[in-house]
Amino acid sequence: MATTYKTFLNNDITTTRTLLHEAIPITGSIVSGTYADANIKEYTADLFEGVYDYPYLSSSANHIFDITCGYSPNSPLSASALADGITTAQDRKNKINMYNEMAKVLVGHDITGSIQEFDQDGNISGGGPKIQEAYFLNFARLLTKDEFKKETFLLTLGSGTTYAAPFDVTTVISDYGAANEFRVNSPAGEYGILYSGSAAVEGTGVGLLYYQAGVAVLTASVFGLPDAVTPLGFDEDDQRVEAVLSGSSITDNANDLRHRFENLEFNNTTELNSTIYFCRVNHNEFNYSSNPTYLSSSQIVVKSQTTDAPISFITTVGLYAADNELLGVAKLSEPLKKDPNNELILRVRLDY
Amino acid sequence: MAFLDNSGDIILDAVLTDTGRLRLARGDGSFRIAKFALGDDEIDYGKYDSTNLSGSPYYDLEIMKTPVFEAFTNNTSTMQSKLITFTRTNLLYLPVIMLNTLDTSTKTYTGLNTFLVTADNATSNVILDSASGTPAGVLLGDQTVDSENYIRLDQGLDTTKLSATNPIDQDLKETQYIIEMDNRFGNITSWKGVAAVSSFVDDDNIATYFLSMGATSANFIENLPRDGTDTQPTAQVILGPRGTLLKFKIQTSVDLQGSNYLFETLGSESTITPGDASIDIYTLDTTIKVTGATTGYRVDVPVRYIKKRG
Repeated sequence: MATTYKTFLNNDITTTRTLLHEAIPITGSIVSGTYADANIKEYTADLFEGVYDYPYLSSSANHIFDITCGYSPNSPLSASALADGITTAQDRKNKINMYNEMAKVLVGHDITGSIQEFDQDGNISGGGPKIQEAYFLNFARLLTKDEFKKETFLLTLGSGTTYAAPFDVTTVISDYGAANEFRVNSPAGEYGILYSGSAAVEGTGVGLLYYQAGVAVLTASVFGLPDAVTPLGFDEDDQRVEAVLSGSSITDNANDLRHRFENLEFNNTTELNSTIYFCRVNHNEFNYSSNPTYLSSSQIVVKSQTTDAPISFITTVGLYAADNELLGVAKLSEPLKKDPNNELILRVRLDY
Repeated sequence: MAFLDNSGDIILDAVLTDTGRLRLARGDGSFRIAKFALGDDEIDYGKYDSTNLSGSPYYDLEIMKTPVFEAFTNNTSTMQSKLITFTRTNLLYLPVIMLNTLDTSTKTYTGLNTFLVTADNATSNVILDSASGTPAGVLLGDQTVDSENYIRLDQGLDTTKLSATNPIDQDLKETQYIIEMDNRFGNITSWKGVAAVSSFVDDDNIATYFLSMGATSANFIENLPRDGTDTQPTAQVILGPRGTLLKFKIQTSVDLQGSNYLFETLGSESTITPGDASIDIYTLDTTIKVTGATTGYRVDVPVRYIKKRG
């Protein structure tokens, strides 16, 4: 009896999980000024600003990340405006709200229900220094996919002492050592510590990188708070970062951060869950075709006499439901010859 | 539709069809891949050169260079021709399915090479009045008036190198046919007017009918007579051993009968002259796909739905 379908048996189907990584380079000039800020989307609510890879009014533009900042209600900056600050009550409220929102999602609550602060070394219960003033880079899912790949995040920031020459000195911030050492005590998944040196040195963290959430948290001190060795001019007036953070809007802070953005690169991760169908084609199967060109006056054109071996060529594998509905299609990149002298196993992978 | 890059290894590029995604989204367990088939839509076997003087490695050189399309996601656009399994390797002839238009009641409409299907009773009546009977090639789709016309497809080995007095081998005889047609326009009935039940209607409104020999009393499929036993020897299109014949009619849908919308949206306007006078009509051209469920051979039957204008 002739057949055109072959039923899968239990051992013809298996499932796999594959982690796919892509290298994502973000050239700093795109962030700091290539498009004269036409790729920067500001919002009147002044809670964050969006960065695109092309002027955002173009349909070609892709959202790449958002920048925001804030400080903890426990930060000295939240008490009252600093002497040289010009902050308004709403500005301050916005920054506290943003810090709390980020902390609520990324750090969580303590046993009393209070929002916990970002911890410099991730050892929340062990106390230690907190990150109370922070800049946040919230990356688009388009770039991070399922998560950052650990120990691939490299952010280069200008740390020149003046606003006019930000890249005279640069600082590379990375999650050094995170492939083997990362934290799991966040409600938002795994996170690593960001360091500004060339290696992980305990107690010197300058931020946190939340892998699944796709968020980088940078302590404001990376730009030189008063206790830093070299305080730098963070805004156009060369004010220090604590003055800008307390005295300027979130949008202005985001713009000043972009001004010092030299380069960013990381690898993302996509978790592919696949079902693999092994299409086993035995020597005596699929050697003939129903292709209209296969016959000439009913005679098989690839045979001259009955003793010639039948030949067919495979270009497509169709995956069917029991009721013969076509559910999936796999294509070969070139025709594959099939005759009674060969057997094939076509491995068809369906990703979810 | 781009061609796949074949400069490297052979890579399978698997995608879900629109029906696959629909069933997956339904979440009712209907998405379950149970079997596979192999297709060769891009291959032109006419390029197989068994006389190449350079030897057998060169016979299929042109075929092997055929570029292959990326996967179509429309479930009805791909796997048009499937590979077949016959366990024996000594077959030199394979059966085909051919439209039989030799008999008066199975002809296509004169000059159009298509079957005309009247959409409603008014159209049927005006044609019957004009032609003083049902013209050849016209199927009365409203089926309120009995008509002898129907569509007939014959199956068998179409060669004079084998005698038509011989019976066809059992494994070459088609006993089940699959008919696919647009469900918005109509449905399949037997030549006696008994409606067939579709197995499913997909996301593109394509209804699929599985018609098996002897499965119903509707007599969709019959054995074709051998030469010498045939009462109508001139009505045979299959020149060699014959298998079965499939005959059916089309009943138009309520939408086609009661509304001009599908004609105005998908069709055009024309005139026909079945008798002395011309009739202004809407037309809607489509094809009905008939596939042998066992042997996989496929034929597209051209059909034009017509409806009287004004």
